[in-house]
Amino acid sequence: MADSSAKPIIELKNVKKVYGKDIVGLQDVNLTINQGEFVVIVGLSGAGKSTLLRSINRLIDISDGDILINGESITKAKGKELRMLRRNIGMIFQSFNLVKRSSVLRNVLTGRVGYYPTWKSSLNLFTKEDKQRAYDALKQVDLADKVYARADELSGGQQQRVAIARVLTQDPAIILADEPTASLDPQTSKRVMEDLKMLNEKHGMTVVINLHSVQLAREFGQRVIGVREGKIIYDGKMSDTSEATFDQIYSGGDQDE
Amino acid sequence: MDTAMKKLPPKPVNLKKRLLHWGVSIVTILLIVWSCTGIDFGGIKATAGQIAGAIFTGIFNPDWSYVYNGTGEDLVSQLWSTICIAFLGTFISALISLPFAFWAAHTRHKKWYVSRTGKIVLAIIRSFPEIVLALMFIKAVGPGSAAGVLALGFHSVGMLAKLFSEAIENLDDGPNEAVTAAGGSKVNIIMFATLPNLLPALISNTLYRFDVSIRSASILGLVGAGGIGYPLIIALQYRQWNRVGVILLGIILMVIVIDWISGWIRKRLV
Repeated sequence: MADSSAKPIIELKNVKKVYGKDIVGLQDVNLTINQGEFVVIVGLSGAGKSTLLRSINRLIDISDGDILINGESITKAKGKELRMLRRNIGMIFQSFNLVKRSSVLRNVLTGRVGYYPTWKSSLNLFTKEDKQRAYDALKQVDLADKVYARADELSGGQQQRVAIARVLTQDPAIILADEPTASLDPQTSKRVMEDLKMLNEKHGMTVVINLHSVQLAREFGQRVIGVREGKIIYDGKMSDTSEATFDQIYSGGDQDE
Repeated sequence: MDTAMKKLPPKPVNLKKRLLHWGVSIVTILLIVWSCTGIDFGGIKATAGQIAGAIFTGIFNPDWSYVYNGTGEDLVSQLWSTICIAFLGTFISALISLPFAFWAAHTRHKKWYVSRTGKIVLAIIRSFPEIVLALMFIKAVGPGSAAGVLALGFHSVGMLAKLFSEAIENLDDGPNEAVTAAGGSKVNIIMFATLPNLLPALISNTLYRFDVSIRSASILGLVGAGGIGYPLIIALQYRQWNRVGVILLGIILMVIVIDWISGWIRKRLV
C-alpha cells in the first residue's frame, strides 16, 4: 500500500469468524495495515465491518486464524498481556459509550486505567500529570469548559468528542472507530472526522474507521477497504477508487439488493 | 378508498381460545370448592362473636398512655428499635447482595452455569422464611434485636441480590466495552462503568427492600427477635385489647410514613 519503509502494525492472517453454528461473520480475511495509515472500511450493514474491527482488539473472539498487533498475537494473549495490547488500541463507538452518570473528567480518565494497577484506579488515585493530560485532551476537542459537567448533560456530538478525548488520553498507537458518526448530524459528523484526522496527523496514530457514508469516506479516507459478506472485496487507495467501485461494494453489483 | 374497509370487521372467533377460557374458569371454581371442603369449620367457638366484639372495641379505644412514658418500653421507643432493626438488616443485606448479584447476572459470564448456580443459591436463601431464620438466630445469639438484624440481613439477600442482578442484566453493555477496550480489568469495568450506571437501581431497590423489612421487623418480635412485635404478642396473650389497638395504630403509622419517605426519595432518583 504505502511506501516501502512502512511498518505493519495490524496483521490479520486467514481470519475466520463463525457465529453460532453456521452464520459466517468473516471468512479468509488477510489484511495488513501499516503504521500511520488512515483506513476506511466501507460496506453494507451486516457485511462484517464491525466484526472485523472488533476482532482487532478482541472485543470479539475469532474462530480461526491469527491477528498480530505490532507483531504480537492478540488472539493468544491472556490476562495482563491482553490488557497491555488493548491499552495500545483505542476505540471509538457509534453510541459513544460514555458513563452517562459520571463527570466528563472521569470519563476521559477512564482512558488511563490500563496504566494503573487496579486498586489504584479504583480508589481514583490518578496522578496530577494524568489529570492534566485529560484536561489537555479536552482542550484539543474544544470541550475544556465541560470538564466537570456530567456526561449526559452534553449533546451527542459533544459526547463523541469526549470519547475522542478519552482515546487521546489513552495515547494508543492504533485507533479503531466503529461507525463513529452514524448517530450524528452531517455537521457534527464532519467535526468528529476532523478530530480523528487530527489524531492521525498530529499524533501519528493509525486510524481504522468503519463508515456508512460514502461522502465522508471520500473526504477523509486514504485507503479504502470494501467488505461484503464477510470478505474483503476491495482494497485500494482512495484516489484510485472510482464511483463504480463504491457502487459495487454497496450494491453487490446485482441481485443482492 | 376502499369502501369494504370502512366498517370495523367483526372480531374473529377463535374456538380454541374460547374453550381454553371456559376450561380455566371451570378449573378455578372447582379449586375454590375443593379447598373449602378441605377446611374444618366446626372448630369455631360459640363465643367467637363476643370476643371479636371485645377486640374491636379495644382496638378502637387505644391505650394512649402507652405511647410514651420514658421507660424505654413504650410504643415510640419500641417502634424506633423496629426501624433500627430494619435499617441495619437492609444495610447489611445490601452489602452482601452486591457480590451475589454479579455472580447471578448472566450477562457477566461467558459460561451459562456460573450465573445459573448463583441464581439457585439465591433461590435457596430466599426460600428460608425469616421467622425460621429469626428462631435460628435467637438460638445462636440469644433473643433480642441482634437476632432480628441478622435474620433480616440474611433473608433480604435472596430478594435484593435477585433485583440487583436483574438491574445489572438490563444495563447497556457499551460503557463496559469502552473500559475493556482501554485495557481495563474486570474490577475496572465494575468500578468505572457498571457501578455508576447501577447506582440509581441499587438505591431504589434497597429503599424498596427497606419498606418490606419494616413490615418484617414488626413481625419478628413475635418470636422474640426484638422490636415492636414483642409487646404486641404480650398484649395479645394478656388480652389487653386497647394496648393491641395502640400498637397496631403505631405500626400502621410507621409503615405509612416510611412508605411515603422512601417513595419520595425513589421518585427523586429517576
